[in-house]
Amino acid sequence: MGYIHDTHCAQYIPPTAFHCVTGTFTDAAGAVTGTIAKHRAAAASTAVINIPIMLPSNSIAQKGAYLLSVEVDYELLLDVATSVTASMNRVTRGADTAVAVVAAVTVTQDLAAAVAAATENQHKLTVTLTTPVWIDNDQEFLLVLTIVCGATVTVDLLGAVANYELKL
Amino acid sequence: MVHDTHMSQYIPPTLFHTPTGTWTTIAGQVTGTIVRHLAAADQSGLVTIPIIIPSNASPQKGAYLTSIEVDFEILIAACDALSAVVNLVARGADTAVAVVTAQTFTYDEGHDTAAERDDLDQHKMTLTLTTPIWVDNDQYVLVEITVDQALTTQVDFLGAVANYTLRL
Repeated sequence: MGYIHDTHCAQYIPPTAFHCVTGTFTDAAGAVTGTIAKHRAAAASTAVINIPIMLPSNSIAQKGAYLLSVEVDYELLLDVATSVTASMNRVTRGADTAVAVVAAVTVTQDLAAAVAAATENQHKLTVTLTTPVWIDNDQEFLLVLTIVCGATVTVDLLGAVANYELKL
Repeated sequence: MVHDTHMSQYIPPTLFHTPTGTWTTIAGQVTGTIVRHLAAADQSGLVTIPIIIPSNASPQKGAYLTSIEVDFEILIAACDALSAVVNLVARGADTAVAVVTAQTFTYDEGHDTAAERDDLDQHKMTLTLTTPIWVDNDQYVLVEITVDQALTTQVDFLGAVANYTLRL
């Protein structure tokens, strides 16, 4: 039986997997022909996008995926946003008849929320876990992108990529 | 080391990107199956399938994509036309756009003519890349299906399967 410890694994997460609330979101062609986007229409409100991190998990400690960072590709169009802030939640699934338990995971983002991340431009936002995590089979991880929008800005969410180590 | 040449990834229809037409999530023609259903309308629309296979930052590791199979059913009346494009998307750095490159592929012999692709029937259409792709962590693959419906044509998309070699 083999042994794998690959430190350079990544997983593309399409925008169609994103959970988007507050605002009008539609499937739309991306600004670059051939790309796809989840498009948010202009509205002066705060959009919350939950990105489910779809990685293999494992019921054995320190096996499966060791989540390091998540990159989010998005585009702000027509205007700047007020801010784009990333956070992360670990959801521990509930047993039958029990609710799930949510705990915040400490992360840092490479683009400042109200400055570089919020400009009218194409963006690749890298969100790094302060302490990487082994994903247990009873856990889910959600990257939360909170975008404070003015009246004019529209948002194209292009996708995300999770970077992880895989140990099997 | 793992080098498995027979890996496959099911991609459910719920992840398909469906920007044009009236789409609903309904039961498939066969009880127990699920589909994204395109309602009748005399129009041409695009369905994009995100290929959610693992990628890797190391060269020639991760997934080596060889083919994609798309399962769909054309109902009531034949389409006017149906065709596919396979695009490799190189993600943009922050402030840069993505770059899309169409990949050369062949249809299976049951779909290599227009009449075979658009007829009233169940379809399993295989797109085989002429040159398979090692998918880098800064890339992803999208399959575009252009559906030109006749007035009464309905289409059910059941899902897709990506076939690849996994090396870790």
